[in-house]
Amino acid sequence: MSWLGPAAATAGRGAVRLVPAARRDWAEAVWAEAHEVPPGWQRLAWRAGGLGLIAREGQMTRRIGILLLFAAAAGAAAWGAWPGSPVSHGAAVQGGIIITLALLAGLPLLTRWRLGPPDSRPARWLRAGIYAAILATIPAQAAIGLFAGAVPRSGIDRHVFDVVQGPGVPGSSSGGLDWGGEIAILILTACYVAVILALTARRTPVAPATLAIAVGAGLVLGVVMYAVAPLGLNVKYPYRPWLHGSAADAFGVLAWVLLFGAPLIAGAIAGRRCHVPDDPGQAGIARAWQGFAAGLVSGGVGALFVTVFGSGTVSLLVESAWVRDWLNHGQHLTSSAVYGRELYASQNVTAYFFLLVAFPFIGLMMGLIGSGVANVTGTLPDSSGPPGPPGGGGPEPVPAPPDGGRQADAGIAGVLTPVPDLGPAGRPEPGQGVLAGGTHAGSAPVPAHH
Amino acid sequence: MGSRAEFSPQTLAVLAALCGQPSTWQHGYALARQTGLKSGTLYPILIRLADRGLVEACWEEEPVPGRPRRHLYRLTPDGLASAAAALAEAELAEAALAPAKVRPGATPRRGRGVAAPVVP
Repeated sequence: MSWLGPAAATAGRGAVRLVPAARRDWAEAVWAEAHEVPPGWQRLAWRAGGLGLIAREGQMTRRIGILLLFAAAAGAAAWGAWPGSPVSHGAAVQGGIIITLALLAGLPLLTRWRLGPPDSRPARWLRAGIYAAILATIPAQAAIGLFAGAVPRSGIDRHVFDVVQGPGVPGSSSGGLDWGGEIAILILTACYVAVILALTARRTPVAPATLAIAVGAGLVLGVVMYAVAPLGLNVKYPYRPWLHGSAADAFGVLAWVLLFGAPLIAGAIAGRRCHVPDDPGQAGIARAWQGFAAGLVSGGVGALFVTVFGSGTVSLLVESAWVRDWLNHGQHLTSSAVYGRELYASQNVTAYFFLLVAFPFIGLMMGLIGSGVANVTGTLPDSSGPPGPPGGGGPEPVPAPPDGGRQADAGIAGVLTPVPDLGPAGRPEPGQGVLAGGTHAGSAPVPAHH
Repeated sequence: MGSRAEFSPQTLAVLAALCGQPSTWQHGYALARQTGLKSGTLYPILIRLADRGLVEACWEEEPVPGRPRRHLYRLTPDGLASAAAALAEAELAEAALAPAKVRPGATPRRGRGVAAPVVP
């Protein structure tokens, strides 16, 4: 018992750091007050209440939930992709998986420290979506690499392999990703994660509405691109089981239009919705910033959508007989022809790399043009208020919420809801029931003399 | 401005404790003793009340040797008005319920009960 009190005190003092700065006074208050509580179980119970407060105000439940979810998804992705043999190609894949997971786990800590956490729902959803997409590509890439690198022992398949992939040692594994390719993918992954984390951080002046618009535009672009080319830029065998005749051509044109039009429109809408200062110069900068972000995000989301679904479809093509039959439905193909097509599709997966590089660049340029259009046409009257660009004298910055954005997330008019779990005399049981829900999102500032 | 319906019985108890000495800064443990609430319940209530501008808080200016500075609380003018209204409403509700005899030992059903504030 004697060691419990000091241990709880030490744990509490350390744990106070987990609470957002604006709430830290309250956690410290519980600890300061503990000296007045009679020593023994009473003081321990008081400190335990303080730890509960820290857990609640530090959003520990959410943090632990996110951590567990990430650990489960990362574990599943690694388990699905981990190569059986640690030789050459296998070693590159293993290294790639480990470094990718380390990037996904480490970069948020870095951006949180420099730019703050995400403080809006679109920002959190965008981060979650990007993470899910990157994790989903890991096993898909591994399956495709394994298939593309496996050299048939003999027969016509061996000949097909030699034609498509070049000569290999029969029965061995070759032609898959090497360290060079793996490093290029890792750099691209790091860029994607870093840019998305930065654009969704609190101290980056990108409005939640901009993110939502950009994601919407990117998803439209991605869906249409995937419908046109479900197996990537596979011009030799363009599988489109859902598009026939002129519909395929129309969708092809639509895809090209959307490649440039979606980020343009996203940039224009984001620029128009942007809350800008009266100074035309500063207003232009604020709009340009929103247009830039909208274009970049929409291009990136579109490219990532096509990559995830495209590489997923290719991996299913080489793994699942059902998908193979479905994609080749109505065509009378020999088994070596099917193998050749699968090999060709697997080889073409590398084209996604260029897609992932090109789309965001096209997007940011078109987004900037879109914001320029918005600058000419003016602002919507019901504009929402994103913070302004750093040092650019942009829109009035939104002050950090006192609880790290938790109230705004609640999205409900906060209520100190009655929790009438009452004792027999109609009195509340000591310690029973706590405040339910959040507080008013627009509640008055704390008038404390801190 | 908060009406009684907005406050839980525990919150009403805290408001009543603060209302007892509206001009005096009170510390957390004193409030806990008056209300019978534990720290894990009391402090979230104080935080929400402060967020709504009903309670103000500050740290003790002069440190006392042998113990850390304490965090002190009192009602703001808005808080005082709100608390007075809510407590009066609670009293009325209690008075209205009084004629209805409750069987001894019966526990009010969850979500239906009205708690009497603990007025010091």
